Amino acid sequence: MTTTPVISIRDLTKTYEMGEVSVHALRSVSLDINAGEFVTVVGPSGSGKSTLMHILGCLDQPTSGQYFLDGKDVSHLSDDEISSVRNNKIGFVFQGFNLLTRTSALENVELPLLYSATPVSASERRNRAMAALAAVGLESRYEHHTNQLSGGQQQRVAIARALLNNPSILLADEPTGNLDSRTSVEVMDIFQSLKEERGITIVLITHELEVAAYGSRIIAFKDGVIVRDELNEQRRTARSELAEVPVPVEETA
Amino acid sequence: MAIKTSWIISLKALRRNKLQTALTMVGMTIGVATVLTMIALGSGAQAAIQDQVKAAGMNLIIVKAGNYQLQQERAPDDAIENGAVGGAPLEGVGRGRVRGVLFHPEDDPFAVHDHPTSRQRLGDAEAGLGAAATLTIADADAIRKVSGVQYVSEGIHENAHVSYGGERWFTRMHGDDVSMPRIKRAWVFPHGEYFSRRQEANAEQVVVLGSIVAEKLFGKDNPVGKTVTMWGQPFLVTGVVTSSNWMVAPAAGDDEFDAVYVPVTTVQKLLNLSKLNDITITTESTGNVTRVSKDITDLLRGRHQIAFKTPDDFQVVSQARKALTGGGMQADMQRSVMGNAAGLEKVTLEQLGKTLDQASATMSALLASIATVSLIVGGIGIMNIMLLSVTERTREIGIRRAVGARAQDVLLQFLLESITLSVVGGLLGIAIGVGVSLFISRMLQWSTQVSLMSVAFSFGISAAVGIFFGYYPAKQASQVLPIASLKYE
Repeated sequence: MTTTPVISIRDLTKTYEMGEVSVHALRSVSLDINAGEFVTVVGPSGSGKSTLMHILGCLDQPTSGQYFLDGKDVSHLSDDEISSVRNNKIGFVFQGFNLLTRTSALENVELPLLYSATPVSASERRNRAMAALAAVGLESRYEHHTNQLSGGQQQRVAIARALLNNPSILLADEPTGNLDSRTSVEVMDIFQSLKEERGITIVLITHELEVAAYGSRIIAFKDGVIVRDELNEQRRTARSELAEVPVPVEETA
Repeated sequence: MAIKTSWIISLKALRRNKLQTALTMVGMTIGVATVLTMIALGSGAQAAIQDQVKAAGMNLIIVKAGNYQLQQERAPDDAIENGAVGGAPLEGVGRGRVRGVLFHPEDDPFAVHDHPTSRQRLGDAEAGLGAAATLTIADADAIRKVSGVQYVSEGIHENAHVSYGGERWFTRMHGDDVSMPRIKRAWVFPHGEYFSRRQEANAEQVVVLGSIVAEKLFGKDNPVGKTVTMWGQPFLVTGVVTSSNWMVAPAAGDDEFDAVYVPVTTVQKLLNLSKLNDITITTESTGNVTRVSKDITDLLRGRHQIAFKTPDDFQVVSQARKALTGGGMQADMQRSVMGNAAGLEKVTLEQLGKTLDQASATMSALLASIATVSLIVGGIGIMNIMLLSVTERTREIGIRRAVGARAQDVLLQFLLESITLSVVGGLLGIAIGVGVSLFISRMLQWSTQVSLMSVAFSFGISAAVGIFFGYYPAKQASQVLPIASLKYE
């Protein structure tokens, strides 16, 4: 590829000081991720994949090294600047869904627009949030509070929220960790179609190899370094798997 | 991010924890309600004390036309000056002696005057107490502008026959201003009301009957709306006045309730008069009666163009001065008391007034400071809840940070939450405080006074409490790291 990579990290290290001991979570990692890739990062607990995710998501800053997002070095920005980057360029999907409790699906999806640098009118916020909910098939449940939604529905709300600002990358941290197997496949279907139909760059972190198999490229971590990085030739396709499994009654959202 | 958006976020966050929000507000509400009620009670007590003093007539000043008492009251000072003009010896300036040597009453037809007497100057042989034609409505209007003056009423007093049907009663007629009922605090109107400002301005033929007159002419009937005759002219009765004070019971010939009240303008028009008999004045505070009396004297001397050393053509009498020399005191004694009257007035009135003011101000301050404690408790309640809330909502803060909220957005949100708590709580407190104050004055007959100032003060305090006690928790919230959103429950 000749275009600049969406994500480009160079010699990235992250060291946590735990009293006397220094924990090297990342040891000089370099990586390029191009637009439209669906990268899955696998590795056991403590391999450094979560630390990588935090840094890629600008939730944490590296000890040393550089991180270019859309060609811009974001590894050492002020709090205000980094907040703006999170708002505009990054969409998060978490294992625990991380939706605001006692708040409607619509309001949860609107959330990033409340913090955008240019003010967005209430009607536009609503329209865009409704469109995002429609994209994940939840437009009929916009008024439901998060506790009235199933796990899979909550995760779809979280995906709608992550997509609202048309981010450069969608970061997913164990998105299927709290879901049953069928719902997991449904969520993976959404990710795959986002990649195929909208060309969204996705970085998904998981410790399950079966889940990692849905990605177009798999990166394996161990002890803070990349041990494997290859394109996935035997990709699982969620849609065909779904067609084979019968649809349970309660999941007819 | 716009403050409006932040505020909406704050409101939504508060709505999510309704019970917690309500309980925190209650703390604030009680605090503000207490402060407001305490201030209302304090200033009510202050006003009540002032009212009592004023009701006793301590703040009353009467300016009478002419200066009948001049030679007696001003004897020592004026006699010395007049004596000096006449070349009389000035030795032995002791008060008693000077009076004995130089005193020469204007009323003594055989006295040789070395200065124009008030009669000569006025060209009015009958010039005497209240009869001299020296005061005008313009004088009264000028007095209204003197600082410290509360109410001013012009006065013309005549005797008149009032008749209705076959009944006829000879009584006193007072031409007065509409402010008279406010000067006479003990007045109540069992029927109708006093004549209006418009009726006075238009010099309408309206009359207020004293209760004695009403009884003589109408018996037990309500005279309001009936027409009585005076000087052959019809007068519409607008009200009946009587005393609310058992100490001043209406009695025949008492000049106050055996009397009728007509707008001064009507009297002037009908009787073709341009002068007043007297002007009645009340001061806002009892403490400055002496000062206001002096200002009025200076004002009238200027308006009447009375030259230096020429005696006044009017007489300024305060209620206190009258009280000091009243009660059948011997003439000698009276004179010597009046010589020191200025000093006495100062001691009695100013000190009394100021001491009372000070005492009630101290009382108010005490009540307010007790109430402030409850406000601080309310404020700490807010701080406590907000700190708890920051800990409880770490994940919420993390989520907001992850989707792009800046530290300052989070700070603003939490600050606005505590300000909303305290201000809404405060507004409720103001409503309850006003209600409780009204209740206290209705049910317990304690006087309370809710001023705009105290309401504004309470509102300001509650906003300040919100900011002061909300800032620290908000700062804590803004320091929550974005990574907190990844800590699963």
